[in-house]
Amino acid sequence: MKRNKIWMAAFLAPAIVLFLLIYAIPLVMVFGTSLFEYRLMPNRFEFIGIQNYIELLTTDPVFKQAFVNTILWILIHCTLHVFLGTLLAFILYKKPRGWKFVRVSYMIPNIISQSAIAMIFVNVFNPQYGVVNSVLGALGLEQFQHNWLFEQATAFPSVTMTWLLFAGYTTTLVLSQCLSVDESILEAARVDGATGFQLDVFVMLPLVKKMIGTTVIMAASYMLQLFSLIYITTGGGPQSATTNLPLMLYQTAMKENNYGYANTIGVFIIVLGVVSMVLINKAFRMNESDY
Amino acid sequence: MKKRITAMALAALMAAGCLAGCGGGTSGDDTQSTGEGGEVVINYPTFQVGVNTSAPVVAQLVEEFNEEYKGKYRIEIEEIPGDANYLEKMKVMISGGELPPVVYGGGEKLLDLALAKDLVVDLTPYVEADPEWKANYSEEALAVDSRDGKIYASSNELQLIGYFYNKELFDQVGIKPAETWDEFFSNCDKLLAAGITPLSMDTGDGAWCTQLLMGAMIATSGDEGLEFMKTSEPDNYNVQPVIDAAATIQEMFQKYTTKDAVGGVYENAANNFFSENTAMIANGTWMIGDFSDTTKTAEGFDQKVGVAAFPGPYVYYAPLEGMFVTKQDDPALEEASVEMVKFFTSKYAQQLGLETQGMLPASPEVAVTDAAKEKFPLLAEFLEMSQSIDTRSNNFTGNMYSNVKDVVSQQMPALATGDITPEQFCQALTDAAQKNK
Amino acid sequence: MYKNQTAKDWLLTFLKYVYMGLCVLVALFPIVWVIMSSFKSNKEILSNGLALPTSFSFDGYVQALEISPIMKFFWNSVIITTTSTVINVLLLAMAGYVFARCRFRFKNALYLLLSTSMVIPMTAVINPVYTVIKTLGLSNTRTGLVIVYAALSMPLSLMILRGAFSAIPPSLEEAAYVDGAGFCRTFFQIMMPCAKGGLASAAVLAFLNGWNEFTFALVLTSSTDVRTLPLSLGYFTSSFSFNYTAMFAAITMAVIPSIIVFTIFQEQVCASLTAGAVKE
Repeated sequence: MKRNKIWMAAFLAPAIVLFLLIYAIPLVMVFGTSLFEYRLMPNRFEFIGIQNYIELLTTDPVFKQAFVNTILWILIHCTLHVFLGTLLAFILYKKPRGWKFVRVSYMIPNIISQSAIAMIFVNVFNPQYGVVNSVLGALGLEQFQHNWLFEQATAFPSVTMTWLLFAGYTTTLVLSQCLSVDESILEAARVDGATGFQLDVFVMLPLVKKMIGTTVIMAASYMLQLFSLIYITTGGGPQSATTNLPLMLYQTAMKENNYGYANTIGVFIIVLGVVSMVLINKAFRMNESDY
Repeated sequence: MKKRITAMALAALMAAGCLAGCGGGTSGDDTQSTGEGGEVVINYPTFQVGVNTSAPVVAQLVEEFNEEYKGKYRIEIEEIPGDANYLEKMKVMISGGELPPVVYGGGEKLLDLALAKDLVVDLTPYVEADPEWKANYSEEALAVDSRDGKIYASSNELQLIGYFYNKELFDQVGIKPAETWDEFFSNCDKLLAAGITPLSMDTGDGAWCTQLLMGAMIATSGDEGLEFMKTSEPDNYNVQPVIDAAATIQEMFQKYTTKDAVGGVYENAANNFFSENTAMIANGTWMIGDFSDTTKTAEGFDQKVGVAAFPGPYVYYAPLEGMFVTKQDDPALEEASVEMVKFFTSKYAQQLGLETQGMLPASPEVAVTDAAKEKFPLLAEFLEMSQSIDTRSNNFTGNMYSNVKDVVSQQMPALATGDITPEQFCQALTDAAQKNK
Repeated sequence: MYKNQTAKDWLLTFLKYVYMGLCVLVALFPIVWVIMSSFKSNKEILSNGLALPTSFSFDGYVQALEISPIMKFFWNSVIITTTSTVINVLLLAMAGYVFARCRFRFKNALYLLLSTSMVIPMTAVINPVYTVIKTLGLSNTRTGLVIVYAALSMPLSLMILRGAFSAIPPSLEEAAYVDGAGFCRTFFQIMMPCAKGGLASAAVLAFLNGWNEFTFALVLTSSTDVRTLPLSLGYFTSSFSFNYTAMFAAITMAVIPSIIVFTIFQEQVCASLTAGAVKE
């Protein structure tokens, strides 16, 4: 048993070293500098305690909207997006005709660079020749035409559409889990008289629950990282209708050169992320062993 | 079995080691300088590659420099395609307290950031010692390249901006470029009456074309407005000329431009002009080459384009913040870098840029030769026209703190649709500018 | 009764195929648009982004290859991403196994700590990571990027692989131990093959993460010898000058091989899954 302890340590060590190198040192720096007035122009580095946090939470007008948007996007993504992907995985694991083609093609949007995806949607929503307005025009519904990405009312849902439907990751993960389920388990259920629907809900779903939990965590964390798609399509506008926390962080760091404040936003994102991860872990009981 | 595992682990390690080896071979520490035989190597990262219009000029200058200083200095280009990428990388490096030996932001304000970290070499003694170099500094160039009486940078190009118009469409309704803003808008109305959209406008990427129109209105509104346009990095936009101009812009979005202007970027605005959907576009001289680029527009389009100063008359005329040398541990590298900057911003280099790519020289010493006139007739015409105009300044977003530009793009669509008032628009810009304090 | 059943079945099957068709449509739209745009002129792309190309020429591809060192970048991407994926999956499989199977103090705390890396905003850590990599002397090397990319997919791989190992029945392991196999041998000979599905999923995601990564590639490299594919797109758009045709040609050239690799890889995964299905 003692030798196992050594092996355990040896197995964990490389991952921990990697973590320390790439994440831990930066993490400490992010937390540390969030307590400082730290900016490039004018060059300043002064300890100010929790002043940045107070400013962020009480007086920053952009923050409120960015926070609400981020939470909304997390919720939409964790439910709708994961549902769409899982539904497809549940259809595909029974290997209907053409399932391999569907599986591969559904992953393709995730291979294309985000700037290209952004450009495509700028075209789709273009007020002059965009596909959405063209279809509405052809149906005689001119009054419903909009400048989708740049009107207050339509900007948020339009930006959401740029990633909502591309649930390839979810499908790939859940499907691979479905496929590795032992055929005999399903066979036993079938012998017991389970219909296709019952099989899916009562047998398969519990078996892949943890993997769905993983994809929900992925979805949430993706929404805490995402900014380039927004930056290229709307730039966070009009006003701050489509600004989220990562975009705010990017602008504060790269455009305002205000690193201390940016890292305060960073800490906030991390806290938000950890809280949602713990909640999702609890909801899907992911820390419990299967056996 | 254990042996196999050990072997596997070893193989993995070797793979990693081999990679490290491969990488090591090509690695060039950014500050490493002395090559074989005492040749000083200057690693020069630049965005002037790919489709950038200055790329051929930079490539030629590097080649000639390396030839002239053979055995002594050598420039090695590091390509960083994309202006925004270059800026981002330089900012990360600045915050880490280091920079490549020679930096050129191409109009973006990197000098102040670098100075805040005390990374820039004072060029004053070098420039003072060289009358030829000194003569390249116009009064305006001296202003953008100096801080507190010390020269830190050397400019090699300037921005000259007015607007281009489609002569054919103008003739169709019988109008000429306007001399006053009232006339400008009556021109727009006439075009509109003939079913022609008058203006190309945009809101994305800092609303380039739109802000040019807006800035011109501010600058020609009176002394207060001109003063504002001559202020670098203003922190208050709540002044009457700016509010008035924002109100006019709001109206223009609703009347005089294309549907895709709200949310559009420069590329859309330009394409509307190239496709003759619009009659006018505000932009600088670098656009001239595109008028004869058949992947962007129809054959013969360049014959239809005329150039004009804004009503006033008024033009944007400003040297771009120049190249600068950064402090290095190795004095030889600093010397070499100064030589490089001198060479790249010399009269010869600027002449080359003018004649091959139509880049406007910052130096008053560079003459517009007949060869250049023949190659870029529109450029020569514009340059001549601008000589008589003494109301000039830098442009509206060019003066801004870099974070305000993003805010322009966020607020402009709301201004255009009437969701916010011109006052609220100016307040938002002011709020953003105040963040730099 | 029998007839009823088939009508319902038929409807379900119909809906199933409608949904599959919609997914395919949504998924293929971007790639079709990109490929189509690579044959259109700048003017056509900007005037009506959704119209079909009017002529068919490979000019965009020729220009893309002329303007940017895309082939070199492509091979760098292949080398860097593949290596980082292998390292990532191997290391995290080891860690994931320990987390799934072993008991030790602070296990959950440590796991949570490692998982937090998933929600650390990349924008916030660019500067520190740059400093770390530079201090290690690895800036502008492939190794530097390999390390960073292996770390980038760490939390995701850890989560997937821990899940995969904990889904394997412990009886298999116990049998191995009874046979006298050690910890290490059990892991590599018994557990790894059983976790193939998880390993493959993790590998695919780690590969795609690295393949599309842009910011670290920009900041950590400076010479074209070690640059990766996403950086090549900058060659085609500069402020006030652009070549969209060439840009979309470059995107097409970047995407097609990865689609092929992905297809083949998926096929392999599937084959191994059915062949080596876990039997208790």
